[in-house]
Amino acid sequence: MSGGKTLAIAGVFLVLGVMSLIGGESDSPLKPIVITPELKEEFPLKSHHAKLSFECTFCHVGQGDDPKEFTYIGDEGCLSCHQSKEHMAERLAFMDKLHVNPHNSIHDGPTLYCDECHNEHKPSTNMCTECHEHDIDLWMRPTP
Amino acid sequence: MKKEALSRRDALKFGALGAGLAVFGASNAFAAAPLEKDVKFDEEYDVIVIGTGFAGLAAAAKAAQRGNTVLIVEKMGRIGGNSAINGGAFAVPNNPDQKKHGIEDSAERFIADSLKAGLGINHVELLEVIAARAIDAFEFSRECGAEYKLGDKPSWFGGHSVPRTLVTSDMTGAGIIKPMTEFVEKLPRCKIYRRTKFDDFVLDAGGRVVGIMARTNYRFDSKLFSDDLENTTGEKKVYKAKKGVVLASGGFSADRIYRKLQNPQIPDNSDTTNHAGATAGAMLKAFQIGAFPVQVDWIQEGPWASPDERGFGVGPQLNQQGLFKYGIVVDVRNGKRFMNELADRKTRADAQYKILKEAPEAFPVALGTYNTFDKQILPLVEKGLATGVMKKYNTLDELAADRKIPVAALKESVAKFNEGVKKGVDEFGKPVASFNGECIDMKGPFYSTRTAPKPHHTMGGVKINTKAQVISALTNKPIPGLFAAGEVTGGTHGASRLGSCAVTDCLTFGMIAGENI
Repeated sequence: MSGGKTLAIAGVFLVLGVMSLIGGESDSPLKPIVITPELKEEFPLKSHHAKLSFECTFCHVGQGDDPKEFTYIGDEGCLSCHQSKEHMAERLAFMDKLHVNPHNSIHDGPTLYCDECHNEHKPSTNMCTECHEHDIDLWMRPTP
Repeated sequence: MKKEALSRRDALKFGALGAGLAVFGASNAFAAAPLEKDVKFDEEYDVIVIGTGFAGLAAAAKAAQRGNTVLIVEKMGRIGGNSAINGGAFAVPNNPDQKKHGIEDSAERFIADSLKAGLGINHVELLEVIAARAIDAFEFSRECGAEYKLGDKPSWFGGHSVPRTLVTSDMTGAGIIKPMTEFVEKLPRCKIYRRTKFDDFVLDAGGRVVGIMARTNYRFDSKLFSDDLENTTGEKKVYKAKKGVVLASGGFSADRIYRKLQNPQIPDNSDTTNHAGATAGAMLKAFQIGAFPVQVDWIQEGPWASPDERGFGVGPQLNQQGLFKYGIVVDVRNGKRFMNELADRKTRADAQYKILKEAPEAFPVALGTYNTFDKQILPLVEKGLATGVMKKYNTLDELAADRKIPVAALKESVAKFNEGVKKGVDEFGKPVASFNGECIDMKGPFYSTRTAPKPHHTMGGVKINTKAQVISALTNKPIPGLFAAGEVTGGTHGASRLGSCAVTDCLTFGMIAGENI
């Protein structure tokens, strides 16, 4: 992920109000992607990402300007904003006590691929349910 | 993600296989694999290991420690497969905690126990290796960073004639997998490629295994009926293995096609205690290049599993260390018992299948009272109730009504069982004489689960010798460059593996493969 992009995203978080001024890739020769209702329906964003008015190219950096051609951004893409798996584990560290921190699980530690559970354009799933189908409700809310 | 449609036919074409077929003829077993002269290697290592479970990581750790460059390929996104979700129980004959607590054990004793459970069809030479080197495997895992609960009397698992099982500190196999993964990755020029699916062995003209074909960015899809046959994701790569390949791909309890071929009683929709990636594909590739198949139709099923939860869950413990002992299991259609609830796993699973074949939804119901549960699983009782896997009733009438069992017949079965316990004789041969009159307490409350057999461990696999070399059916000699360890190998445990011996087998033979390659 480019440093420019990281800065841009940081800007989004800091000054949401003036986000439109910062834009995505300022020097990009690409034509801006118009988010049509159809596109929105085909590639819905998570509510928390939608609230921040993310543009496609914030995540799909350097992938051109045709949403149909965009590819999976991988852990690296997610972590360009979410810092590191260890950082995410730390945020849920209160769950460590019962060995149920999904980002630092007793079985996997902080090693899982993000999309093992989290999806952006389709509903997320929870890998823990593969074995903990019922008891997961005792310790976890739906996967964001 | 980039997708590349790679059909099986394409995969075979890749590497101009046609040339191989022309030279060796269709009857030659290794004509089924791509040849070195027809491929271009993308990367080169001394050793390639297939699978990141106990066996694969132990092999990689040993091989890497000896200075080899090692690549481990893992088709799943997670490291460790079944090993990471396993209970972390490790049978170690002659371990220090046995000595500390004055427990007499020996290699002979371990072998005798295994043979008894295995109905004598075990390959004894492999058991001998495990008995002799389990302690080394245990120490090696500690060298890699695994931690165990030590100092207390070892755990006593069913079928073992003495307590000999040590348990990891976090009570999961991940307690071994996680440190071993770090250990391997820290060694120079050793790496693990996850989401990388082994597709085929690459052979040289003499039939030696010199590499593998794989697909990177592979996304396992548990929604497919057969991921092995249908999944076309990933980008093809060819990796060279200068010294050889270790097959440590695990068992096939989750393979709907292969397990049913071996035991047609297992329905397609049968759950398993295993992770979804436990399929037969890699083992079948070894058969294709000539590996001897051994006892593949012995599939160990857990008769203590529950159809009301996925995977292993809490049911097995609630039943094994609970309802199955002082309680009973009945056929819901007639309220009658139909098996010795403490018989070996196969006898019980077969008895359950007899019912389920006639009525696929008539899952036999286990019932008992509070006195049934071992102390250590009391916390699980609440969990079982909270998740609905187990239910609690004030009376047998309530239980019968809810579980749809004829109530008069159920009461008669309970009364008959209780009388038997008092007399010390059970109609199905359950060892009730040792219960000291302890049985179903008629004042209740009553606890109950539904039961279903689930494939748990596949006993069969490829034939290996005591050096973990895979033996060829074409020559009865080792296939050059091919080693195997763990559940993908067959014969070691015969008809039925004793609990906590899988970790022992996988780590010991993984280590041996890494030492010999």
